[in-house]
Amino acid sequence: MVACMPADIPEPQEPADALAAVVALRRLADQLEDAAVEQAMRAGWSWPQVAEALGVTRQAVHKKHVKRLIAAGVTLRRRQ
Amino acid sequence: MSAIDHYIQAVILHGQTEARQDGSAAIEAHHLLLGIAAQEGTAAREVLTSAGLDRQAIRDALDREFEHSLGTAGVSAASFGLPAPTPDPDRRLNLGASGRLCLERGFATATGKKDLRPGHLVLGILEAELGTVPRALTLAGVDRAALATRLREVLADGSW
Repeated sequence: MVACMPADIPEPQEPADALAAVVALRRLADQLEDAAVEQAMRAGWSWPQVAEALGVTRQAVHKKHVKRLIAAGVTLRRRQ
Repeated sequence: MSAIDHYIQAVILHGQTEARQDGSAAIEAHHLLLGIAAQEGTAAREVLTSAGLDRQAIRDALDREFEHSLGTAGVSAASFGLPAPTPDPDRRLNLGASGRLCLERGFATATGKKDLRPGHLVLGILEAELGTVPRALTLAGVDRAALATRLREVLADGSW
């Protein structure tokens, strides 16, 4: 056990487990991005604010999420 | 279009719905397996069902694999209290790398297009030794080799 790791976090034993964890974490990150962007836009955040918080361009976050949020009935602030 | 073309199209369409629902960026092998389990009237589906793998059981096995793999990194999806995102009902997704590979492998198990049937597509999915599907099936206690043997028997009978 590596000293800096908390005792309750198991260390990946096998390459297959470690690689599968990468896949699962990417999927979780994608799900969290969808949820967090939706939550922010429902709370009245603007596209530039969400983009800056995520560290991506306004165009990227807009392109990725705008259709979904319109379909979800979220009232979007105008792009600035 | 032949029956198998219609079948593959239905499997991919269902896979796309599954991929949208779990927020995936592409249609992967496990989405196609769910699509196969959802198409009624095939011997392949019966083989899956008799091994305890109906659509919901496959979904549950995939969810367990997701939690298990996150747990390897000390993470739990349940520890984030965000409300579930609304899926985009119109988002068009492409086949991902694992989705394309399992179809290619499935086509290769048949002797030509005329022979190609649903069971061949399942064989193509089961051929993967690594990735989400084999991990989920192993966690669910499914014997992939026995399942493949049963599928080959059913295919040899000429069943659809």
